[in-house]
Amino acid sequence: MEPSSRLERIQLNKATISFDDRFTLSEIDWIIEPHQHWVITGTNGAGKSALAAALAGVGKIEAGTVQGLPKNVGLVSFEAQAELIAKELKKDDADIMDVISLGTPVSEMIFEQCQDPELASDLVEKFGLTKLLDRAFRKLSTGETRKVMLIRALSSKPDLLILDEPFDGLDVDTLAMLQAHLASIIDTVPMVLVLNRFDEMPDFITHVAYLDKDRSDKERLEKKRGDKKRGDSGRLAFTVERQDEAAFNELYQLLHLKTTDLSVPEADPATKLPALDPSQPLVKLKQATIQYGDTVIVDKLDWTIEQGQHWQLSGPNGSGKTGVLSLITGDHPQCYTNDIFVFGFQRGNGESIWQIKQFIGYVSTALQWEYRVSTSCKNVIISGFYDSIGVYTKSTDHQKKIADQWLELLGMQERSDQPFNKLSYGDQRLLLIARAMVKHPPLLILDEPCLGLDDMNRQLVLALIEKICAGKETTVLYVNHHTEDKIKEIDNHLALEKNH
Amino acid sequence: MANYFNTLPLREQLAQLAKCRFMYSSEFADGVDALKGKKMVVIGCGAQGLNQGLNLRDSGLDVSYALRPEAIEQKRQSWKNASENGFVVGTYEELIPTADVVLNLTPDKQHSSVVTAVMPLMKEGACLSYSHGFNIVEEGMKVREDLTVIMVAPKCPGSEVRAEYVRGFGVPTLIAVHEANDPKGEGLALAKAYAVGTGGHKAGVLMSSFIAEVKSDLMGEQTILCGMLQTGSILCFNKMIEEGVEPGYASKLIQYGWENITEALKYGGVTNMLDRLSNPAKIKAFDLAEELKEIMRPLYNKHQDDIMSGHFSHTMMEDWANDDANLHKWRAETAETDFEKTPAGNVEITEQEYFDNGILMVAMVKAGVELAFETMTAAGIIAESAYYESLHETPLIANTIARKKLYEMNATISDTAEYGCYLYNHACVPLLADFMKGIKSDVIGKGLDVDDNGVDNARLIEVNDALRAHPVEAVGAVLRGHMADMKKII
Repeated sequence: MEPSSRLERIQLNKATISFDDRFTLSEIDWIIEPHQHWVITGTNGAGKSALAAALAGVGKIEAGTVQGLPKNVGLVSFEAQAELIAKELKKDDADIMDVISLGTPVSEMIFEQCQDPELASDLVEKFGLTKLLDRAFRKLSTGETRKVMLIRALSSKPDLLILDEPFDGLDVDTLAMLQAHLASIIDTVPMVLVLNRFDEMPDFITHVAYLDKDRSDKERLEKKRGDKKRGDSGRLAFTVERQDEAAFNELYQLLHLKTTDLSVPEADPATKLPALDPSQPLVKLKQATIQYGDTVIVDKLDWTIEQGQHWQLSGPNGSGKTGVLSLITGDHPQCYTNDIFVFGFQRGNGESIWQIKQFIGYVSTALQWEYRVSTSCKNVIISGFYDSIGVYTKSTDHQKKIADQWLELLGMQERSDQPFNKLSYGDQRLLLIARAMVKHPPLLILDEPCLGLDDMNRQLVLALIEKICAGKETTVLYVNHHTEDKIKEIDNHLALEKNH
Repeated sequence: MANYFNTLPLREQLAQLAKCRFMYSSEFADGVDALKGKKMVVIGCGAQGLNQGLNLRDSGLDVSYALRPEAIEQKRQSWKNASENGFVVGTYEELIPTADVVLNLTPDKQHSSVVTAVMPLMKEGACLSYSHGFNIVEEGMKVREDLTVIMVAPKCPGSEVRAEYVRGFGVPTLIAVHEANDPKGEGLALAKAYAVGTGGHKAGVLMSSFIAEVKSDLMGEQTILCGMLQTGSILCFNKMIEEGVEPGYASKLIQYGWENITEALKYGGVTNMLDRLSNPAKIKAFDLAEELKEIMRPLYNKHQDDIMSGHFSHTMMEDWANDDANLHKWRAETAETDFEKTPAGNVEITEQEYFDNGILMVAMVKAGVELAFETMTAAGIIAESAYYESLHETPLIANTIARKKLYEMNATISDTAEYGCYLYNHACVPLLADFMKGIKSDVIGKGLDVDDNGVDNARLIEVNDALRAHPVEAVGAVLRGHMADMKKII
């Protein structure tokens, strides 16, 4: 077979590419080496197809550079398909003579500019199009036109093959045939596939590019340019090598969270929380002070958290963020010397901390460090029903079922019985968030939930939090440093300062 | 004050020694109710005092700390512990008269003076709580008749009592009521509520008696738990050096070896610990243990006899009166042993290797556990108590040696246990001198030098049967079953 020496390295350098003002790919840094085969994936509307099309020279380069694009690109996509069909229909419209146009026959569409007629004939037969060769292209079904597009692209001896959702709408046999064919040409042409579903990914894929909506950039651009008409934009969030198994699995999970429409599992009716008085705030700290010897960490803080009022708490290290949180959760011994009202209890009047903790879901790095018991993933979630680290009470079948639903939501159902401490750091964090949420607490405290996580895991955690914030019954108290990790529903902000 | 145990008729002594029962979860259904709204005043703010207080307060109970005026005036550590954690702190005079329950959590040797000081201040019908019965049983403290006297003893260091509570669990706890001081019959209810307040009910509670607790606790800690491990460490280390084993390796094999082999003990008793050995090594360990038991039995009997007669506590109290002269001398000597001074080498020892190269250590643990159990039960202590004070606690003590050798073990245990440990060690090292002459590195340090692992069938069956038939294995299987029901479901 011919080596693919025709292709040189394709390099996008801070390339911002716009598509009719409808969509912008912003500041893409991406290198495709010859012999690599990529999958582009990401959330809906993040610009997967746009990026694929950009490799075929579509779009306007607004900034940055794009180098090494090959001349002969085989492109199969819904957009290209729609364009081709539109062109055919236009031919029909343009026919002003009173003759019924039959349109271009399939054979002409396939063979007219064909570089490899032998291959094309072979594929026509394999795709089962032999009987349709004489039919007008525009009379074909969507699936059939897709097959024609595929044959055209495959037999054009391309320098680069771009297949945008090539497997969509193909029957099982055709799918297997196409996959086998693609596998047979991996040494002759580099491929870029756009796929929404990970399980369709062929084995020969070497790299994955993950795109995400670029919300903050969009806001920034809008502000800067005062340009309200600009459409959505997307960015290349990260790339993953197929060989990096851990990263690959995380990407799978992320995609799962971002693209499946699962709702947060129900609470356990058997362990329903006592009802809270809706007219009372969840938390009310009056002149709260934390002091060690002569050192004052928190000085006379007044803070009220009403039900349904999401808060973000920020401040430099040592400003007492965790201290304030632990006054609320009851983990700080000085909660007994302060004027604290939480969940209907004025602290220090004979209530137990378990009566307080039942209303709180809590996630922090410290919790993750403390969570060192060797227990299964499922038990970690179940422990959320008891606010314990480890499970010390027999759980009900119903609780187990809810735990299973959470595992499914996280895309971790296969790992239900695996030991928690063998999981990646990011997966542990996800499980702890599920643990915190399992009882649908009135207050969810997320103390730097993204701390220590890499970009992909941060995305994962934020995706899960957004799913939770969208629900109505939980008030979120979110503590963090990173301004880019924003949760859109949170608009109350408390900034602590360093006192000492 | 006269030794309380010795004032009782034999019938009553036996009845008290026979008390030990694993309580059911359902017995704690009332939670902390019996203590709700009552004022609990803790005396002593060390590790037990502070951490139990934190737990009790977090369980919704009213806790404050009574300290001596010097501790408050000089802002000593105990004052800092209590006040920085937001507790009310006051003098005995200020707080004791208001207390419904006084928790005496000071070290053993202060009990007499503390109780003597607080008793006149306590209000009519209040409760005095101990975490160890030495003062009542051995020193014969007579408590005012209107006061209820109970014991609640978490079987772990104070830091763990807190850590386990915060996780939503607890530590195994022993409770008892001093029957001579239960005028209103509320002792048990108070002790149960106290155990719930510290989280103990989640990990398992044993109902015992002051006498059973003291007599079995003293016996266990002096012999198998601390004494045997100290003697074993010193003898095994010296033997390895004599046999040319690299000192760093020898030090590590012992420091972490006790922890590794007793982990097997914790899971499946003596049987499982020996099952971790190859068949020839198992038979070897069994034979060594039989020999050790025969040599050491008189020593175990002497310790038990001295504990029962009160001779042990009498001599120890003489040392207290003599400013702990013996204790300090023996502590200094321990620090000077070659094992203590040789740091663990930077060598990899796999978990299995600790068994394979530590056959003598396995034999020593087996001999010590079985002897302590046999001696205790022969003296009238019920099998359940004997199990807890021998086999059950051995891994806990072994963990302290893994942390920082004998120093850590002796720093963690009570002065009473430490004193008894040294007594045992001084008698046991010379007692085993002849036995140790016959020991080579095949059973300690290097592992058996055999061509294959073949053994005689009949002999192996004999050894396996003997292991499994020992009474400590029967009671152990039952109690481990109970504990597993309550324990971490993992």
